Amino acid sequence: MIPTTHVLILSAALFSIGVLGVMLRRNVIVIFMSIELMLNAVNLSFVGFAREMDSMTGVIFIFFIIVVAAAEAVVGLSIILSIYRNRQTLNVDEYNLLKW
Amino acid sequence: MFMLPELIIVLTAFVVLLLDLFFAEEQKKILPVLALIGVLIAMGNVIFWMPEQGVVFGGRFVFDSLGAWFKLIFLAASGATILLSWDRLVGKVSDAGSRLEHPGEFYSILLFTLSGMMFLISARDLVTLYVSLELATIPLFVLVAWKRENAFSGEAGLKYVILGILSSAVLIYGLGILYALGGSMVLEEIGKNLSPSPAFWLATALIVAGIGFKLALVPFHMWAADVYQGAPTPITAHLSVASKSAGLALMFLLFFRVLGPAVSEWNGFLAILATITMTLGNGVAIVQQNIKRFMAFSSISQAGYLIMGFIGPFPEGMPAMIFYLLAYLFTNLLVFAVIVFYANETGAEAISDYRGLSRTNPLMALAMMIGLFSLAGIPPLSGFVGKFFLFSVASKAGLHWLVAVAAVNSTVSLYYYLRIVRQMYIEPAEENAVRLPVSPVLASTVGLTLLGTVLVGILPGFYENIAQSVAAAEWWSIGR
Repeated sequence: MIPTTHVLILSAALFSIGVLGVMLRRNVIVIFMSIELMLNAVNLSFVGFAREMDSMTGVIFIFFIIVVAAAEAVVGLSIILSIYRNRQTLNVDEYNLLKW
Repeated sequence: MFMLPELIIVLTAFVVLLLDLFFAEEQKKILPVLALIGVLIAMGNVIFWMPEQGVVFGGRFVFDSLGAWFKLIFLAASGATILLSWDRLVGKVSDAGSRLEHPGEFYSILLFTLSGMMFLISARDLVTLYVSLELATIPLFVLVAWKRENAFSGEAGLKYVILGILSSAVLIYGLGILYALGGSMVLEEIGKNLSPSPAFWLATALIVAGIGFKLALVPFHMWAADVYQGAPTPITAHLSVASKSAGLALMFLLFFRVLGPAVSEWNGFLAILATITMTLGNGVAIVQQNIKRFMAFSSISQAGYLIMGFIGPFPEGMPAMIFYLLAYLFTNLLVFAVIVFYANETGAEAISDYRGLSRTNPLMALAMMIGLFSLAGIPPLSGFVGKFFLFSVASKAGLHWLVAVAAVNSTVSLYYYLRIVRQMYIEPAEENAVRLPVSPVLASTVGLTLLGTVLVGILPGFYENIAQSVAAAEWWSIGR
């Protein structure tokens, strides 16, 4: 059986990759995918914790996180679509109307 | 039945959404009335049940008097947002760019975020807390990006949605660690089982980052100015009051019920957070030219004063924070009501556009001045009384330097609030400036919030009332 520590290390690594993706990538769709990666890393950590404690509640929580992530993806992608129609670009560096 | 206020709001949201399908364009003008009636009935309900305690769903949802105060604040802020957006949605504005489309969807989405906030303060386990928090935030992304053809609104929505999901991912990662350390989903039990350890501090750091985003505390405030500027102005008002109150509700839940028993001393950390938040908010507000951006930094510095209430001898800070939130609600909405009125008629958002407002619309200029003075903390007004209670919490904890910093900051804030007053009263009006018409809805909004701004400060016994109901709710009984 895989030790829980390994699950948690994998989850932390995925989460960090997600954070780096949000900070370093410039395409807004890729940024969005990185955020989804972070949420899935959280799901993985819940699986690890729930298995370690032998409790079902942590696993149930994952379903709620998945549903919420889907709702967020719907809203986020539709906002991306509407801004793409206005600006014809997906590069976040060019979304610079609002600044100091 | 203690969930009735929330259920009324959700029901109203669906009724508004459904009626929007069947109504002709002309009939849609009664949709804001319906939404407002729903909010008022829910408000009556909350007031009716205020002294009682109720548990629903086996302790996952709890109605108590402290939660009732928060619910009243959410309801009042959303009711005011309905009033502020009324003219824009029914098309009674002179400036075409200020008009908002789709009243049915707008009001139902606004009511959904309201219901999420109301569920949030009653949540007593992690699942309810997370789901209601997201119910409160996701509709706000949509509202910020409401003007589809406007590039500013879309950009603000995009920035808000990306940083909003990022912050909730960080928060949920912290909650996951708490679940593992506490071995339970119930907030009380997690609180009992926690003890300081490296994993606990990691979870605390992640949670502070998540909450800091919702409250716009300083290292996590970057989104606020852009989102406030790009969003439709009534939604900016909603963000600065209701969404900030929801952030405070989240902080109440996680700090007082979960992290509190394990952390013996967080005064120093919170004092530093409050200091940088108010100082940076004030410092940057001085140089702003756009009034909505200006209000964003003003509200960041207000959040800095607000979290001083967490410092403590504990039960004292709670009523002080709720009182300040009430004062801030009326004051900030008063200022935003005048901003919405001016933008509705002229579309202008720069501070310099307000020049000579006292010549053309003296009453509106006077209302704005009272609102700004209350934000700065000039004595008889509610903003001063609220600050007084917050500062006295910090001083009772022995953090006199923090009180000094906060006092200096509120003097600095007077300087930049007076910049707007100077534009309105000292600068001459434009040559061809005419008196702008005030719609009855906005006039009554200004009247109501003005009444609140003045009365909350001078009504005797108001603060004691809050303090009593907070003490009755027994939020700080665990582990002490």
